[in-house]
Amino acid sequence: MMANSLIHGPLVALDRGDDPPTHDVMTTESHPAKTKPAPPHDHSPPAKATKLVFDLDSALEHIAHWLPSQSPIKDFIHHNTLHALQHRPFHEAIAIASRIYGAKSYLPLSEYQTRFREGRIYDFALERALESVEPDPDLRERLKEELFRDDHEAHYPPLSLALHGLRQTWLTHIEVNLDAQVHPILFRFIANFLDQGISRWSVARDGESLWKCLYRLTEDSFVPLYPFKDPGIRKILSMTPDEAILFCLQKIVGDETLFGVYLLELALGHPGWSGMVRVIETNPESLLTRRTISLKEFIAVELAMEMALLLMKRGPHFQSLSKVPGIDEAPSFAETLDQSTTPQHLKTWHEAMEFSLHAELLRALQQLPKPAPLREIKVQALFCIDDRECSLRRHLEEISPAIETFGAAGFFGIEFFFKGIDDIYPVAQCPAVITPKHLVIESESSPKIQPEILSRPSLDPLKKSQLMRNWLFTQTMGLGYAAKLAWDVFRPGAPMVKIKKLAEVDNPTRLHLLRVTNEPNDQGQLLGFTPTEMADRLESLFKNIGLTEAFAPVVVVVAHGSSSTNNPHFAAYDCGACAGKPGAPNARAFAHMANLPEVRSLLQSRGINIPPNTLFIPALHNTSRDEVTYYDQQDWPSEQPEGLSHFQSVMTKALSRNAHERCRWFELGPTSSSEAAAVHHVRIRASSIFEPRPELNHSNNLYCIVGPRSLTEALFLDRRAFLHSYDPHQDPDGERLSRILSQVIPVCGGINLEYLFSRIDNSMYGAGTKLPHNVIGLLGVANGVEGDLRTGLPSQMIEVHEPSRLLIVVHQTTAILDAALSKIPAFKAWLDHEWLRLAALDPTTSELLLYGPSRWEALSFPERFTTPEGSSSRAIYEGKSNTIPTHILRKVSQ
Amino acid sequence: MNDLILACLLIPLLGFIFIFLLGGTEQRVAFISLWMTRLLGAAIIGLLSLWAWLGFPAHEFHWFNLLEQGDYQFPILFLFDRIGAAYLFCTWVIFSIIVRYCRHYLHREAGYRRFFLTIFSFVFGLNMVILSGVLDMFFAGWEIVGISSFLLIAFYRHRFQPIRNALRAYSIYRLCDFGLLLAALLIDLLLHGRNHFSELKEVLSDGYPPGGYIEFFGLSLLLIIAASGKSAQFPFCFWIPRAMEGPTPSSAIFYGALSVHLGVFLLLRTQPIWGFELPSRLIVMTIGVLTVFVASISEQAQSNIKGQIAYASITQVGFMFIELAFGFEALVLFHFLGNAFLRCYQLLVSPSIVAHLLRVEGETDVNFDIRKSALAHSLPMTLRQSLPETLQNTLEVMALQEFNLETLVRSVLWDSFRDLGHLLSRIHPFLKTAILLVALGIGVILFEKGFNIRPYFGLLAALGMVYLSAMAFSRKRTPIWTWNQVGLSTLFAGVGTSLISDEQGYLVLFFSGIIVAWLLGLLLIVRMTRIDGPTMNPYMYRAMDEKMPIHALLFFLAFLGLVGFPITPAFLGQDLMLFHLSSEHAWMAPLVAIAFVLNGISASGIYMRICAGRPVEIRPSAG
Repeated sequence: MMANSLIHGPLVALDRGDDPPTHDVMTTESHPAKTKPAPPHDHSPPAKATKLVFDLDSALEHIAHWLPSQSPIKDFIHHNTLHALQHRPFHEAIAIASRIYGAKSYLPLSEYQTRFREGRIYDFALERALESVEPDPDLRERLKEELFRDDHEAHYPPLSLALHGLRQTWLTHIEVNLDAQVHPILFRFIANFLDQGISRWSVARDGESLWKCLYRLTEDSFVPLYPFKDPGIRKILSMTPDEAILFCLQKIVGDETLFGVYLLELALGHPGWSGMVRVIETNPESLLTRRTISLKEFIAVELAMEMALLLMKRGPHFQSLSKVPGIDEAPSFAETLDQSTTPQHLKTWHEAMEFSLHAELLRALQQLPKPAPLREIKVQALFCIDDRECSLRRHLEEISPAIETFGAAGFFGIEFFFKGIDDIYPVAQCPAVITPKHLVIESESSPKIQPEILSRPSLDPLKKSQLMRNWLFTQTMGLGYAAKLAWDVFRPGAPMVKIKKLAEVDNPTRLHLLRVTNEPNDQGQLLGFTPTEMADRLESLFKNIGLTEAFAPVVVVVAHGSSSTNNPHFAAYDCGACAGKPGAPNARAFAHMANLPEVRSLLQSRGINIPPNTLFIPALHNTSRDEVTYYDQQDWPSEQPEGLSHFQSVMTKALSRNAHERCRWFELGPTSSSEAAAVHHVRIRASSIFEPRPELNHSNNLYCIVGPRSLTEALFLDRRAFLHSYDPHQDPDGERLSRILSQVIPVCGGINLEYLFSRIDNSMYGAGTKLPHNVIGLLGVANGVEGDLRTGLPSQMIEVHEPSRLLIVVHQTTAILDAALSKIPAFKAWLDHEWLRLAALDPTTSELLLYGPSRWEALSFPERFTTPEGSSSRAIYEGKSNTIPTHILRKVSQ
Repeated sequence: MNDLILACLLIPLLGFIFIFLLGGTEQRVAFISLWMTRLLGAAIIGLLSLWAWLGFPAHEFHWFNLLEQGDYQFPILFLFDRIGAAYLFCTWVIFSIIVRYCRHYLHREAGYRRFFLTIFSFVFGLNMVILSGVLDMFFAGWEIVGISSFLLIAFYRHRFQPIRNALRAYSIYRLCDFGLLLAALLIDLLLHGRNHFSELKEVLSDGYPPGGYIEFFGLSLLLIIAASGKSAQFPFCFWIPRAMEGPTPSSAIFYGALSVHLGVFLLLRTQPIWGFELPSRLIVMTIGVLTVFVASISEQAQSNIKGQIAYASITQVGFMFIELAFGFEALVLFHFLGNAFLRCYQLLVSPSIVAHLLRVEGETDVNFDIRKSALAHSLPMTLRQSLPETLQNTLEVMALQEFNLETLVRSVLWDSFRDLGHLLSRIHPFLKTAILLVALGIGVILFEKGFNIRPYFGLLAALGMVYLSAMAFSRKRTPIWTWNQVGLSTLFAGVGTSLISDEQGYLVLFFSGIIVAWLLGLLLIVRMTRIDGPTMNPYMYRAMDEKMPIHALLFFLAFLGLVGFPITPAFLGQDLMLFHLSSEHAWMAPLVAIAFVLNGISASGIYMRICAGRPVEIRPSAG
């Protein structure tokens, strides 16, 4: 789930098939069929609970609820891994999820104990956690003893209900390893059916559904698809998917009350594919080449295959599931789920760790030094709220006091489809839940030779299909690849030919932003924006970040992207607010709009006064290579505006400092401590084919601060904070705050929770190590050739992450915050169920209050708990290899 | 030159030992592997240049005899010629690249040391194969390659899918081993000790195959089976794509570059044998053609990038088989080098395919449409619409399901044993006892009548062995049960042989290896299953590797010992046993060999189920 609100206009309701976060609480009782088509959200298999006739559609809705909702890999969108349980309190949801998926709930005990010994979990935090977890003082003592036990197995997950449930009991009983037989056939079929370009033959025909395709391949082929050899079994394929499912379930399961459980266990046996099918069903445009598919058909195909194989292995009278002795005594699914618990001592430790980490920031905010006197600002820079920009902004301001930075969601409030010069398809440049209505096309400003696109290793030989050509090619060219490979491995980053990287596309191009005609194209998109539409978007953003006056002569709009080589997850490295794309088009659009005189005059009438000599300049920060590219230089005035060259030189210096700060995380990083070595290292890193960690992305993201930069300027936040600019004094009714929070909570919260769960159990919630990943049909990655699709993040992205929930600190009074939250109930539920934490820093009294579902809790910390200080960023981070607590930066005056 | 050859062979072994003993940290492993690779590079370059300077001779070097018993010799004999040179060069280039690549790629990966240990043992085995001058030593290297390949496929042992695929590859490997082992023995027998690769041409120069046409054809057939299994040729094409479970570089070095071409190497070495008769040449040719057909069509419908590269590689190896059948040795070598480097490169950059296709190429290129082709116009009108469509569907099904070769091979090779096991297990215990008693009774009667009953009891033992192997193979009850079946079956093999054969000396070697491994394994299984309770769900993996790592390692050694891995005493024992059997009682040799193959598969199954997997909390089932 992602941001659902446009920057302007009223807040729209969630428009996807996702669960609204405010659910009725899960019930195990019968659930009367509510208004259709709303899916029943009780988590018990409907058939079992209601004792009514089995209803396939509601059973499928119920199953779909438990599936991961990750779109095809080309647009990687961070979301809460446990979105299915988001309507429940955090720890309860973890307990249920651990039982159903067989996943770990928290970190291993020893990791918490180590952190405690190292002083990163504080005594007062541990006491607080103990009190909240165990109200009874006697039991609390016992719990406290348990905390320090030596135990290496406490974090082992329970047996998964879905993977070791009734279905497995039955299969074990009849001694058929059905999954091992069906999965490879099913995965090959579905992968080829949905393939977006890897295979040369696709079995799918335009507009043909999966079920029809199976029918054709079986009935209209000299060799029917295995395992449908027997004409008897093929009768199933001529039924409708509904009939086929019911028919197979009758035979396989027998007892109607168990149908729901069986289907759930079946679908969760391969959550990756089931989830992918569901995502494509609900959102067909996520595929470039459309396919007609539904979860129902997918399950029908699987059941038909199971049926065929069972008949083959065990004959027509195989023992059905309900005939297995003892199967009706097994506890029901819902009962077991309701009894799920997590180890109390791990929960205590986790709470203590989170509170310690949160306290580090909150304490620092209490002890902030007096704000610096007003200074002369020559350049303002607008960044994405991304935590990776946090350190770059700090370095910029540390080097030059004449620079002021702002933060906003990296699509800068302008949502559109973008079709770049090299793109074959237009892609959405905005958070995933917004479907843009505008299309922006990039074209060459002057006819020039097509730029070479060689930025990825060439796989050309793969795509040539002629047998003889391949034979000749291998014979003759093969040896050349020895040289190419040796070069790539021993001299990474030194290109054999001139290669264009993301940041160095120097060819001037033009974005067609201004609407010429009001005629929409065939997809119903409008080409470009009218000046009013432009002004609407700019006004909204400027007011959100509180920049309505005192514009500097130069405003640089810095988007970000990341270049990496040999990395199928590249989309997860780019800007999250641009749906996993580099944000350059948005920055260019923003600057272009803000430079248009008619837009400026519109803005002036709305109270935003941009001086005529102010120039907006778009730029892109490449977060892996630490390079900045400035765009549209052809539009700059011939006379360089004051401050621009200053900014450029400061930026160059800040980037190398930033690279140096990042290098402290790289164990194989440069041995010398010079910044030049660091810059060299990060560039090599981003262009080496053997480097699985081009950068560490959002690792260790922890805080989100919504407030003016003056609040965070003097803090060293160790690249751990999402920073959104906001002026509390310009927002008396909380209107802007609710808009900001409705972007920040899902985007940052989604990133945070996805990292958290992928880190806690990388094999269940995450994608595992990326080393054996195999790209499947451009849809996702899997282990090996016939594995299930892996969702979540690979271990290389999260291994150094400290899994802790996000703390949002808002610089505003609780009254206004309450007002703002009441406008976004869907996101308030995230807070009420503790999926993330919120604290208010009162702008007048500087009092700190922590949000709770019923009340705001005033926070105070022990006297001796003080915030450490440092004289410069480098002095603080140098020589440290783990995360660093928040420091106060006492800049030596320059 | 001899010293350089020895250096090429032993440096990887030295690297393996150093990493095993000293590789406590990632830095040290990286340091050792880097320097060992450089050293190996120096030795290989030295060898190649010296060889070139001497005028590219075929050089043979007899180091010593590892074992001599009667007419049986196990010589350590090296041969270096242009075939070896090409393979050695390729090994060096790819190995250096992979070592360097993995330094960063595997950084911080659990199992960093294990990975390097395995690839060093792989290179050791590979160099042994490349440099060996006689089939027995070749076989030892071949086995080492097989085991390291098995370990790398199952590198991620907490997921059961890699394990299953490792077993799948391993069972094909065992089948090749069986072919190769019997071939090695047959060569010894037929050629009367003149079995050096370098002598083959000369021995066969008089135009008559030694040992008769049929036997000689059988020998060729065994070699061809071994080669096509290892190189994933028809009908074994299916296993290579499924073996892509390890880290990408290991897939690149094994299935992209080196291991997959070992079958070709075997055929190059034994060309005088199978090339001697036309039928066997034709078989190689047919295998090549069929492979090219099957693999190139299967490649079209592969929707995953590694599978596609694997089939592309197999297709090229199929071409190599065709070239071999024509006798174009130089062309094969050149082709081998090209294919190895190209596939290695493609696999290493395979993760780039997403970016490549999205940003550079774009839409799916589904250009396969029979209807437009000329065929449609030459058909009768009623068929014109339907037949091409049906044909297209058929081809798609065949491509998608890879001609169902796996099902085919499995039903031919393994299902019969499995069915036999199921059948046997259904026999009532009383009936079994009765049969046993009757059999013993007949033996006693025969003894009283004054017959030599040793062959009779030998036969009984052999039947018992097959029975136990089939049982172990077909049922997955408890690990202890299966382990005992395997152990007993192996013992029966020894007992049976001792009853039949007159030579007994090697049996001490054999039994000493087997019994120790069996008992050690038994002890470990008992200790390891005690925590979770002895009843074992057959589909459950117990993750002892994570829970009790030392036990798991020891158990691994016991497993190797029991199945006769080339460094254990049981290996020599097995080798000798089969040698004697095939020279004296040829009927029993295939039985014993099959039993060994089945035992190997069953035992590795136990190992995987006990040691692999992901640990779970044991809770009372009521929740």
